[in-house]
Amino acid sequence: MKRRAFLSLLGAGGAACLLGQSAQAAGPKEFPGYPGSFGVLFDATRCIGCRRCEAGCNQVNGLPAPPEPFDDLSVLDKQRRTNAKTYTIVNRYDHIPGAAGPVFRKNQCQHCLEPACASSCFVRAFTKTPQGAVTWDGSVCVGCRYCMIACPFDIPTFEYWEVTTPRIMKCTMCWPQITAGKLTVPGCVGACPVEALVYGKRADLLRIARGRFAAFPGRYLDHIYGEHEMGGTNWLYISGVPFKDIGLREDLGTASAPQYTSGALAVVPIIATAWPALLVGVYAIHRRMDKVAHEEKVQAVTQAVAKAQEEAAAKLAKAKADAEADKKAAIEREVKKALEEAAKAQTEEDK
Amino acid sequence: MERGRPLLRWAGILLVFAAVSLMGNEVRGDAGPVKTPEPGRSDRLTIDTLAAFQKLELPPVTFFHDKHTDALLKEKKGCETCHLVEDNQLSLTFLRKKGTKPAEIKDIYHKGCIGCHMETAAAGKASGPPDGLCRSCHDAEPKVASARLPAGLEKVLHYRHVDSKSIPAKAPAKDNCAACHHEYDQKAKKIYYAKGQESNCGYCHLAKPQAGVKSLEQAAHQQCVLCHLDLANKGVKEPVPVRCDDCHGAKAQAQTAKNNRAVAAKLKDPNVLRINRGQPNATMITYDPKFEDKPVKPLLMNPVPFDHQSHEKYSDSCKVCHHASLEACGKCHTLGGSKDGKGVTFEQAMHSKTSKHSCIGCHNLQQAAPNCAGCHRSIVTARKPDDASCRACHTAVPGITGKDVLSPAQKASMAETLLKKRTPTLTTYPVEDIPEKVVIKDLMDQYKPVEMNHRQQHVQALMKGLKDSKLAQYFHGDPGTVCQGCHHNSPPSKNPPRCANCHPQAHGQALTAVEATRPGLLAAQHGQCMNCHQVMAVKPEATACTECHKERKK
Repeated sequence: MKRRAFLSLLGAGGAACLLGQSAQAAGPKEFPGYPGSFGVLFDATRCIGCRRCEAGCNQVNGLPAPPEPFDDLSVLDKQRRTNAKTYTIVNRYDHIPGAAGPVFRKNQCQHCLEPACASSCFVRAFTKTPQGAVTWDGSVCVGCRYCMIACPFDIPTFEYWEVTTPRIMKCTMCWPQITAGKLTVPGCVGACPVEALVYGKRADLLRIARGRFAAFPGRYLDHIYGEHEMGGTNWLYISGVPFKDIGLREDLGTASAPQYTSGALAVVPIIATAWPALLVGVYAIHRRMDKVAHEEKVQAVTQAVAKAQEEAAAKLAKAKADAEADKKAAIEREVKKALEEAAKAQTEEDK
Repeated sequence: MERGRPLLRWAGILLVFAAVSLMGNEVRGDAGPVKTPEPGRSDRLTIDTLAAFQKLELPPVTFFHDKHTDALLKEKKGCETCHLVEDNQLSLTFLRKKGTKPAEIKDIYHKGCIGCHMETAAAGKASGPPDGLCRSCHDAEPKVASARLPAGLEKVLHYRHVDSKSIPAKAPAKDNCAACHHEYDQKAKKIYYAKGQESNCGYCHLAKPQAGVKSLEQAAHQQCVLCHLDLANKGVKEPVPVRCDDCHGAKAQAQTAKNNRAVAAKLKDPNVLRINRGQPNATMITYDPKFEDKPVKPLLMNPVPFDHQSHEKYSDSCKVCHHASLEACGKCHTLGGSKDGKGVTFEQAMHSKTSKHSCIGCHNLQQAAPNCAGCHRSIVTARKPDDASCRACHTAVPGITGKDVLSPAQKASMAETLLKKRTPTLTTYPVEDIPEKVVIKDLMDQYKPVEMNHRQQHVQALMKGLKDSKLAQYFHGDPGTVCQGCHHNSPPSKNPPRCANCHPQAHGQALTAVEATRPGLLAAQHGQCMNCHQVMAVKPEATACTECHKERKK
């Protein structure tokens, strides 16, 4: 293969890869969420930190009883996180500048509009349901726990103690129970005695939140956490103190997790299909070149051998003929000599 | 070596694994107990003088002024150790005169601070960081927070200065106002005293220094601290604060407040606390045509009688209302808005709900007091006020409308007559009409009904908390007003509707947009009780379920 042909093939392959990427870039970057999807609005100015939501969640999801009962509020002295036996927890945040007393915040899966866990899962064990919840399907999960690393809120957890059938555990927004008609609102929402949690359509929740901002000027920060964070979430928060002071990350930006990876991942199919074909082609051409060269070489060698053999045979024949002639001449010479001697002797005898 | 290679590879893999799990632990681990911040110091200064001239190479220096003053005092050394005397006055800067070049400042600080630290250490005494430990002073993350509270001269403290024999009046003046108050002559570039022109320091001395005018901080330290130092050196009997903590510390401020109260309590005539600048005792708030630069449509609202003298009592300084100068409100806040008033119209200046200087804004702020907040916290402030609340201030005066232009004397006499007619009394329904006990049992499930001591612990307790508030007495005009703290959003009445009439019984339903603005019954009742108990700091706490309703065994 000529160098030029190889380079042009390489160039074509590269262009094909780039084409794949630009096609992705032209696609819709922002996903505003499924219309009519449900979510929950948490109001930190209302939460009293009674842990009823934890109890409600535990009950409707049939989770194991915690070591400390739900009416033991001393657990709030420590910052806690969700685990494989607890889908939701409430934390207390003390000494917040500008706050009259402690502020409480419930934590659970935020049910992102474009979940990082789902985008990291290579077996599609996570589903973002059009109704809002992010659910997990154990039948396909391979237990890689990429979702746990991917989630910016540290939500999916793993049953490490289950030897053969560990599950990824996280809040489901009670979607299985709600679709089955067992519940009308998530367990935590139903258990809240002060409506610090409101379940409803995400669009309505945003309106309700803004309504509270307008009704009580100065009571809330003019921001709904989760409206845009990480591309938006179905769980929303409003608060009178900065969100970072109640344990919510403010460094996440407004781009969803898939937006960071979709560009690179979009190239994978084109590389997976184009590159093998390209490389196999290059290899085949190379192989053919080798084969042809080999055949030509063999032919040339054969011809040379045959020629040499012919030449050798001719030489031999000539030598043979020469020897024969020499022999004949010698015989004739000897015969002649003998005849001459005989004649001489005859003459002498005659004499 | 050939045998060693796989071993080496495994070691590498294990190392990476260990590093990843350690990192993971750190990222995902328990955050541990909530940290309580270290107590701050009121004398924490940040020295970043060079920041005005160049980009700082190192973080600014965190400096504790009182620590140094106290240490020097032990050595019988005074302020002059660090502050030069220039024109017979102690300079407020460190070891340098006016007009020192920026390039020299760095040297002055380094030689001055480190030199003294080294000398002190060489003498075998406790001392600050020596040479070479740059970050000990240039600390990017100071461990000690600043607990500096703004210091101020409220009314009684002002009176204590006026009354002090240690600050004598200079003859022929009868008072000592000239000791602090001054005006600035732009042409002569000199300060002078003008009788009757005294006003709040903050009107001229703003937060940041202006061309030729010191910032409030600079002015206050020069004026107050230097005078206090003089007095302290003279050995006067009054307490003269000179250390940072004496004015800016929480403890010292509490002590000052206590002393102020004691002084105020002893006064025979509380009117001596008034700061006399020719203000009326009462006036009618209405527009003044002399301030209006363009023809205006006369107001249709009735003018408002305003008790200026009483409002002086409620405020620490004139600045609470007269925020930029002691002029009448209408001078800057014209009917159409003016440049001086930053476009804020007369109407907005009186009614803004968000400004702390406006009538309504300040009245709303008063509602945050525990006695008021219990009810007022739940009242939507954003809604349109009802006519009765407008009429509470815009009193009808027979024969006078908003169109009429009144002279100052007319205003004063009219206001005084109108104010005299007001007899604020706090009323509610007769005792026998107030239910003694209310049993709340609409949602009985996990818990037994709540038996609430309605009359004594709620209605009468609220009334008791309001008995000293003239504001509440005046604006709670209807006997049913106090009931509306709980029985809200319906006209005041002896028989208010039940909670469940408006709040949906069903709990835990997905809410429609209309319902969502109105909580369900459970949240409505809990919200009403808990919010009030929380902001009024009345037990039981929001999470003490069984103190309100006993558990119900099913």
